[in-house]
Amino acid sequence: MTAYVLRRLWQIIPTIAGVILLIFFLFNWVGGDPAMVLAGKISNPEQIANIRRQLGIDEPYWYQLWVFVKQVFTFDFGRSWSTNEEVSRILITRVGPTLTIMIPVLIITTSLAVVFSIMVAYVRGTLTDRMIMIVCTVAMSVSFLVYIIVFQWLFGFILGWFPVQGWSESFGKNLGYYAPLPIMLAVFVGLAPELRLYRSFFLDEINQDYVRTARAKGVPEKSVMLKHVLRNAMIPILTNVGIALPGIFVGSFLLEVFFSIPGLGREIITAVNRSDFPVIKAVTVYLAVITMFINLLVDVMYKVVDPRVSFK
Amino acid sequence: MSAVLRNPPLPPMQESPGLWALAWRRMRQDTVGMVSLVIVAIFLAMMAGSYTGLIAKDWNKEKGVSYANPAFLAGAENLEARSMAAKDATAKAPPVDLSDIDPLAPRYKEWEERAARIAVTETKRAEVLPFGGDKWGRDVLQKAIKGSQISIFVGLSAALLATFIGTMLGAAAGYWGGWANDVLEWVYNVFTSIPYILLILAFAAVATATGKFGKGIVPIVLILSLTGWTGIYRLMRAEYIKHSNREYVKAAQAIGASNWSRMFIHILPNVSHVALVQLSQHVVGFIKAEVILSFLGFGVPVDMVSWGTMLAEAQNELVIGKWWQLFAAGASMAILVTAFSLLTDSMRDALDPKLK
Amino acid sequence: MTNLILQVQDLDIAFQVDRKSEPFRAVKAISFDVPTNTTVALVGESGSGKSVTAMSILGLLPHNAIVAPSSRITYFGSNPGSAGGRDLLKASRDQLQSIRGKDISVIFQEPMTSLNPVFTVGEQIAEVLRLHMGMGIRQAGARAIELLGEVGIPNPQLRANSYPHEMSGGQQQRVMIAMAIACEPKLLIADEPTTALDVTIQRQILDLVASLQVKHNMSVLFITHDLGVVGDIADSVVVMQAGEIKEQGPVKAIFEQPQHPYTKALLACRPRLDARPRRLPVIDDFMKGEGRVSVGDRARGTTPGDPIILEVKGLTKTFFLKEGLFGKRAVPAVRNVSFSLPRGKTLGLVGESGSGKTTVGLTLMRLHDATSGEVLFEGKDLLALSEREMMAYRRRIQIIFQNPYASLNPRMTVGHILVEPMKIHSIGSGERERVDMAFQLLKRVGLSEQSFYKYPHEFSGGQRQRIAIARCLTMKPDVLICDESVSALDVSVQAQVLNLLQDLQDEYGLSYIFISHDLAVVKYISDRVMVMNEGAIVEMADSDEIYRHPREEYTRKLLSSIPKGYQLAALPS
Repeated sequence: MTAYVLRRLWQIIPTIAGVILLIFFLFNWVGGDPAMVLAGKISNPEQIANIRRQLGIDEPYWYQLWVFVKQVFTFDFGRSWSTNEEVSRILITRVGPTLTIMIPVLIITTSLAVVFSIMVAYVRGTLTDRMIMIVCTVAMSVSFLVYIIVFQWLFGFILGWFPVQGWSESFGKNLGYYAPLPIMLAVFVGLAPELRLYRSFFLDEINQDYVRTARAKGVPEKSVMLKHVLRNAMIPILTNVGIALPGIFVGSFLLEVFFSIPGLGREIITAVNRSDFPVIKAVTVYLAVITMFINLLVDVMYKVVDPRVSFK
Repeated sequence: MSAVLRNPPLPPMQESPGLWALAWRRMRQDTVGMVSLVIVAIFLAMMAGSYTGLIAKDWNKEKGVSYANPAFLAGAENLEARSMAAKDATAKAPPVDLSDIDPLAPRYKEWEERAARIAVTETKRAEVLPFGGDKWGRDVLQKAIKGSQISIFVGLSAALLATFIGTMLGAAAGYWGGWANDVLEWVYNVFTSIPYILLILAFAAVATATGKFGKGIVPIVLILSLTGWTGIYRLMRAEYIKHSNREYVKAAQAIGASNWSRMFIHILPNVSHVALVQLSQHVVGFIKAEVILSFLGFGVPVDMVSWGTMLAEAQNELVIGKWWQLFAAGASMAILVTAFSLLTDSMRDALDPKLK
Repeated sequence: MTNLILQVQDLDIAFQVDRKSEPFRAVKAISFDVPTNTTVALVGESGSGKSVTAMSILGLLPHNAIVAPSSRITYFGSNPGSAGGRDLLKASRDQLQSIRGKDISVIFQEPMTSLNPVFTVGEQIAEVLRLHMGMGIRQAGARAIELLGEVGIPNPQLRANSYPHEMSGGQQQRVMIAMAIACEPKLLIADEPTTALDVTIQRQILDLVASLQVKHNMSVLFITHDLGVVGDIADSVVVMQAGEIKEQGPVKAIFEQPQHPYTKALLACRPRLDARPRRLPVIDDFMKGEGRVSVGDRARGTTPGDPIILEVKGLTKTFFLKEGLFGKRAVPAVRNVSFSLPRGKTLGLVGESGSGKTTVGLTLMRLHDATSGEVLFEGKDLLALSEREMMAYRRRIQIIFQNPYASLNPRMTVGHILVEPMKIHSIGSGERERVDMAFQLLKRVGLSEQSFYKYPHEFSGGQRQRIAIARCLTMKPDVLICDESVSALDVSVQAQVLNLLQDLQDEYGLSYIFISHDLAVVKYISDRVMVMNEGAIVEMADSDEIYRHPREEYTRKLLSSIPKGYQLAALPS
């Protein structure tokens, strides 16, 4: 176990190096001189000169890379090119609102999808099953944008059940007043694809030999599903949640834009709009690192659900 | 084997149906799949027609009054058209100020100026258009057709490129193993350790800031395919590993077939159905992504029309009760994507009967 | 009158393959009885409907199965033989659930996949006890440990907490058996329970089932394709073919005086240890009423002066597994194996799974890289040649694999498959000549010329092996490695392919390395036999010699595990 974790940590090093290289290649090499990028966006030549000096633009590429690596490990990406706010400060203050939306979304969507998909898998092959699958396919085909536009208009403007947009300083008010509509939207949209996916996980398991054994033992059909099948299907479901987990930091960017939530997602969109490279670079590198550690954690947690996993 | 020299007449050629033909036979029995195929074909024909200028050629012409009513709502009151007629050219302010969160806010002015430049010849404007008009009185139906062309073309070409990249890299890693696999797995790990949306936005940031990814729809195609190949790579790699160890490939090695021949003559046709299903799935995914990116202003340029740019306009229109552009773009996309998804499902079933 | 536990009457099952086509009839109005305290064997080749019959008893058929309304499966539960039996086909789901695992239980062919991977074996046995015997967790757990002991799992206290993947195939099957007998069932259905197991393990499992049958006074319905096993274990036999019962009766009658030609054929076409006919009888010999073709026995063996075509010296292959932080673990698959193959003779390579016999074959063809050793072909070390130099030798050593479904490229026509190697090695002067040769070879291996244009999926397993053989013959090889080439085939088809291989050896003077786990087949086809275990050679001798006078303990154990069949068991040893 310890050896396994150590080996995985060891393997993370080249991946982090790769992420740094990729970002450097993209922003410094392809992106080029900030003077060109910022032409027309910042009119103050002194500020541009400052940025160029800071990044070592006139030095060779290896030196620029060294500057970037130093930025990564000292958590100091300097200041935003457009607002002059410190990048580290931007990251810290924007994470909260994003997680306020996305953690409830992840929990509610996953649990609803598991419950519904096991019910649909139980009645597999019936008309109900086929109807639900078709509804899901159609629901998945409508753009997220359309859902947001219509829901915001319907529940915000027309019915007035929820605030159209906004955010406050108090966590309680955010969660109880501003967040419900975005959360509901994200759950509504996320449910259909997950339902389809989890149903296929359950069906895969139902066709396994051990299910036939359970039936041959006289296990009632309901406990075949809830005990034998569910326990096995949790393995791919956990994998799927593990893959989705890092996404919660930026996943809600559209919602944040529409509902005016000051989160990380909206910050990135703004940064892309304003070519605010330091913010994008910092978010990308740090989220990649977080992702790697979450993946490691998920792999270790596998052991809990799948006894076949060994840490050799 | 002296008999070889005799050269007997060849028996009549009766080629049996191969696996592709059999899959097509299974597919033809699937009503849902065939209906979807027809719908997708119609969209593709529409795309071709619109590209060659046979249909929707003058989508950009301002034929009707501002927000002209759709034909089925001809009698409805149209305040906007009247105010437009009163040469009130200034944009009507939306009832709710969205400007601080609307990423497109800085561009409204630019668009209006452009619109003002184009609208020079004052022809007689129609009060009613078949599916209504947009703010500048352009025909929404024609816009939707033109938008389909761009959106489908972007989705299709990005998916083709991503499938090509994924298949080639997956084949290399899966077949050769060793250091080729190690290097490609490293690249894969690097790409997948960055959350997908963030990766797209990072590429989009550079593309929009520098313009180095090309002009028109080229950047969006490159962004989508360069970030979207990883899933295909992973699947094709697994397929190549599986098939490299299959006995028919070992037999090919035993008869002396070269590596190239084993990779592309023997294995590739046996895994190409996986690539085909992936291609089809990615078309759907990329169309959806294009819509969102274009909406945000990082995709298709504003002087072209796609479903995404239509939805960007539709957000403010809905508030003033002009729902037809939203509906036209949303529905045509939903129909195509539903058909494409159902087609993918039935294609997968037809190509791999074991899966059922 | 014997008491019955189960009576099957006019059982008729069809499968709706797809919506448009006619249902496929898998079982055609069959009737047979299972008396109390007896073992009934249901024997048949693939597609005979034997497993479908067994699964229908407990209502475990897939959803697309259609059981004809006239079918009846009567189960005489608590009072055997009385009129008060219950028709299982009409039983409700709840009724079936209370019978399954309690009165009638099942063991399956693949113990690995039949056990739930995420529960311990103790939990899985306890589950059935709690369901049917009303036991609490603690009591059921204790009883599960007792049961594990009863089926011969060493250290049951500890093993109850193991997960299935931590056990060997034989142990997993013992767990399945423990689960099946937990509630003292009246009938145990065993669906090919030993097919996936090595011969020595098969012997243990058969003995276990036989002893439990007596001890627990149950009946066993034993489904198998192997008549040898039947002779060992059954009291009466039901022979099925293509959904019909061809013959049924007491085991003695079936083996000594088979009436139906199909039964006669099944008994005759399996190679036996005590005789070696020049040509194995095949099904057609009996079905067409041509009677048994007997042309005397074939003599086998090698002499020291035989010219050697292939000599292997000190062949070693080691695999490496990653372990720990940076560590690697060496797993030897083949250790220091040396042997020589005389020209025109057959060397049999026998061993259980994991013995390294297949690795030997792949390594000497360079389909795996050897760790060390020499493979001398006409004096040249093949392992030392460059890839380019090897090309000239490639065609001269060819291989036929086990799985006839995987060894032909499904996207190529048979014609393409046959012409490709000729192109690679520039055999034949042009396309036309190659195509002609392909036609000749197709005819030679007993396939029609029309096959040239067909795809592999249109052929049966036996036909595909013929195509694979034809592919090898296009290159006019000297040495042919048959890697379990007949193991996946039904016994009647196996006889045909073995006959073909023998004819080809006689005709072209081919030398064979025949790799198999089936000792009877190896004995039949080989001049010399090499026994392998854990990567090393245990014993090597002429085939008659090794079967008559095995020197090593392991060889003796292997030989004594072969199911003897009824006839041999009756013979004085």
